[in-house]
Amino acid sequence: MSVAASHTHEQSFFQKYLFSTDHKIIAMQYLFTGMFMALIGGFFVYVFRMQLAFPGAEVFGYGVVTPGEYNSLVTNHGTVMIFWVAMPVLVAAFGNYLIPLMIGCDDMVFPRLNRLSYQIFLLSAIVLITSFLVPGGGFGGAWTAYPPLSSNPQYSLTPLGSSLWLVAVALEFVAFLLGGINFITTVMNARAPGMKAFDIPIVIWMIVVASIVFMASVGPLVAGAVMLLLDQNFQVGFFDPARGGDPILWQHLFWFFGHPEVYVVLLPAMGIVAEVISVFSRKKLFGYKTIIFTTVGVAVLSFFVWAHHQFVAGIDPRMANVFTITTLLISIPIAEMIFVYIATLYKGSIEFNTAMLFALGFLAEFLIGGVTGIFLGSSGSDIYFHDTYFVIAHFHYTFVPIAIIAVFAGVYYWFPKMFGRHMSETLGQIHFWGTVIPMNVIFIPLFYLGMAGQHRRIFSYENFPELAHPYMQNLRVVATVALIVMILFQIPFFINFFRSIFAGKKAEKNPWKANTLEWTAESPPPHGNFRELPQVYRPPYEYSVAGRSSDFWPQNER
Amino acid sequence: MASLSLIANSVALALLFLLGSPVTQASAPSQRGQEIFKLCATCHGNQGEGNQSLAAPAIAGLPQWYLLTQLKNFRSGARGKHPQDAPGLRMGPMARTLKEGDLETIAAFVSQLAPHKLAPISTGTPQRGEEHFQVCIGCHGHDARGEAQLNAPPLRFSNDWYLISQLKNFRSGLRGANGALDPQGASMSAMAQMLPDEEAIRDVVTYISNLKDER
Amino acid sequence: MEHIIAQASTFAESIDTVIWVIALLGGFWLIVAEAILFYLIFKYRRKSHPKAAYITGETDAEKRWIHWPHYLVIVCDLVIIGFSIKVWYDVKQTLPTPDQTIRIIGQQWAWTFVHPGPDNQLDTPDDIITVDELHVQNSATYHFKLESKDVIHSFSVPVFRLKQDAVPGRTITGWFRPTKTGTYDIQCAEMCGLGHGIMGARIFIESPDEHALWIQNSSPVSHVTQQME
Repeated sequence: MSVAASHTHEQSFFQKYLFSTDHKIIAMQYLFTGMFMALIGGFFVYVFRMQLAFPGAEVFGYGVVTPGEYNSLVTNHGTVMIFWVAMPVLVAAFGNYLIPLMIGCDDMVFPRLNRLSYQIFLLSAIVLITSFLVPGGGFGGAWTAYPPLSSNPQYSLTPLGSSLWLVAVALEFVAFLLGGINFITTVMNARAPGMKAFDIPIVIWMIVVASIVFMASVGPLVAGAVMLLLDQNFQVGFFDPARGGDPILWQHLFWFFGHPEVYVVLLPAMGIVAEVISVFSRKKLFGYKTIIFTTVGVAVLSFFVWAHHQFVAGIDPRMANVFTITTLLISIPIAEMIFVYIATLYKGSIEFNTAMLFALGFLAEFLIGGVTGIFLGSSGSDIYFHDTYFVIAHFHYTFVPIAIIAVFAGVYYWFPKMFGRHMSETLGQIHFWGTVIPMNVIFIPLFYLGMAGQHRRIFSYENFPELAHPYMQNLRVVATVALIVMILFQIPFFINFFRSIFAGKKAEKNPWKANTLEWTAESPPPHGNFRELPQVYRPPYEYSVAGRSSDFWPQNER
Repeated sequence: MASLSLIANSVALALLFLLGSPVTQASAPSQRGQEIFKLCATCHGNQGEGNQSLAAPAIAGLPQWYLLTQLKNFRSGARGKHPQDAPGLRMGPMARTLKEGDLETIAAFVSQLAPHKLAPISTGTPQRGEEHFQVCIGCHGHDARGEAQLNAPPLRFSNDWYLISQLKNFRSGLRGANGALDPQGASMSAMAQMLPDEEAIRDVVTYISNLKDER
Repeated sequence: MEHIIAQASTFAESIDTVIWVIALLGGFWLIVAEAILFYLIFKYRRKSHPKAAYITGETDAEKRWIHWPHYLVIVCDLVIIGFSIKVWYDVKQTLPTPDQTIRIIGQQWAWTFVHPGPDNQLDTPDDIITVDELHVQNSATYHFKLESKDVIHSFSVPVFRLKQDAVPGRTITGWFRPTKTGTYDIQCAEMCGLGHGIMGARIFIESPDEHALWIQNSSPVSHVTQQME
């Protein structure tokens, strides 16, 4: 391993911030790009929720929403939030920032590959944004892009938009494949001396397992994307029944990736939450190894559940039984993981700062998302719930905790390390309550609407006599207003975030008294991270060990 | 930057709540027409010039009364409700998408768009077509400019492929079969029966699209 | 579920039963887990419990606290799997003998329904073809042959709890048996393009007499005979 001191030469601004190979800068690039894309995704949801609440009216800041634009908005809200917000922030930003710091090395093992990964990701984001602006408008065939709608411009009416959308998604996968290779290799090869497999912090375990799941599942979809591009532009007919193709094939390729993808973003979020609740309850994680085994169990099972998205899609009905069983089986490791987290709080000493509130909020909300998933994983009830708002409410109760709540837990927790300053607690707590309460007010009505038979991706319910009922319309208005409240409560966060970067209270090396290695580096860590590469003597969660004067015991302390 | 645009948006949102109405008040009709026209443009083109690959005809410059009648027909199911009429089945939902109060606005807006010079693509014999056209003159006029009093739309602003498809539809009952809901369509359906075969349809449409632009 | 949305087919009730079973078992775990979570958060807040204990969670005595609930979860899963597969089997894997067979064709953006007409045979001249209107007889078992002309659509009748995708190039056969007269929504439940949001139809569930009358009045062949008389 190279000596840290050799990295600390002067760099120009250009080198440092745009073409850096430093994992921390690349992490920041991913984080800020992700935040910017979140604003786009947030604006989209504001526009189409306004259309749903007040159909046909001019939406402030946008104008009249036509059906084509509505389809494009919902499609790209999903695409942006999953592929350009959850993935870059949870996997790439936290992965890049935390892996070298938490395993005690100076950088990723392939720094240039890392830089290339971000550059391809940035390109993919630019291609995606371009796809909204081309003639015909952005792609509107849902984020799942089922052919023949997506493969034939005469059906989708977005000849350019659908191809650019697909190119952007494929580029994004390439970026994360490069990142994933880097994560896995780095953790395998560059750990600090003395750090054995079971001394690696949970969040790193989870990011690595997530990267493996991603890399193993994305192959079929990249192939599928190329096939779909050929179908779109050269009428090759992989998915066209008139030419001997099969539209259901795409669904298998998509969901073989699409469902593991849920766990790709869930695992890093669970990891962040594990770090935060352990530190702020001053407790050793309950059953560290149990968590790792359940993580691996989830990862393996996640490859065998995909067709639960296709119960009513025309697959052989006998297949549904197999996938019902595997899907319900996955509840076992997930439930165990949640139990372990709850048990960690037992006899702890819980400090309610913003990071901890978000971590606890994650547990409380994700439970709802997990339990409501059973209705959809069980084939019998999914016949009814498939493609209703119940599905929407369910997966937002998983994705909002994952991509919003857990991310905020991580940001508030590692902010002092990232920028060497503290964020304001007062603004943080306002932000927490202003995010979590409206979130429930948005999605609980949607559960109800879904049970009442309201289907997804419909731009106005005025034409369906049973769904146009005023009480249902009122619920839609409630959800929309709550959404706007939630968006407004992100202002304190942005103020807090950007003000604290420059004017927050100075943070010391280890403000939370945490054990993991990143807290032994300076805040913020210099290029090369550690003055002296650390030596690891013990597992990462030795809090409140009996007989010690201090209630923490850093991994690098004898 | 990111925070700035969010703040700007948020301030805008806050104002919106203070004003108490999530919807800006009725704007000028043509502006509203422009807004709604985005929907039509998806298939009929940004200038209403039509798109044959989507079976979407040119609509620019058609008279307001005709556009309004047809939109109403599509909404009520008097037109575009026949199981064999695939383009009509696509247009029906689009017309129902419009709000009742927007029908006049959009018809007015489209009627004010400049009509396009349409390249003829049909290959009939215009001389034979002229003979058949004598039947049409009674309502549509000898220069095919139409006559509002007789509920006859102009034909020269329409693509020839579209005229052919509609004449076929009128003949086979895909359009104008419902006399109660669409009396004008029903009388046109009867007139279309006077064209003996598909060749005659091609001829007469070729004649119409070759009419000199005499203004 | 009935008070939210009517049950109008034989399997609506059994699907609702599955939903109830999951709601009870899942709801139990949700409430227990949330209650314990909030209890622990309250009990072990720093103010009342300033010094944390050292518990590894690696010993058998400690792991028991995780494993016992976890075995219970498995039992609940098995119960749910049992109920779910039973209903799935009845709805999607069996086909009771039909009284009538209809054809349903999805296309951008309309549903076409082919009713067999007075002779109760599909593909004969007396077939009644309607757009966006499906007429069925109460308490009769129906087979439907679902097709699509262009993209993937999904035939969904919420009051039946019935949903099946229509896939171009395939004919998918399913069944239903209405149990309640009335007029209800049919929706398209799969994104099918610009007009997806308005691709609705209505189902008219009629008593046998009403239905017979409708067939008589609507069949193209009987029209012709009436005109000839």
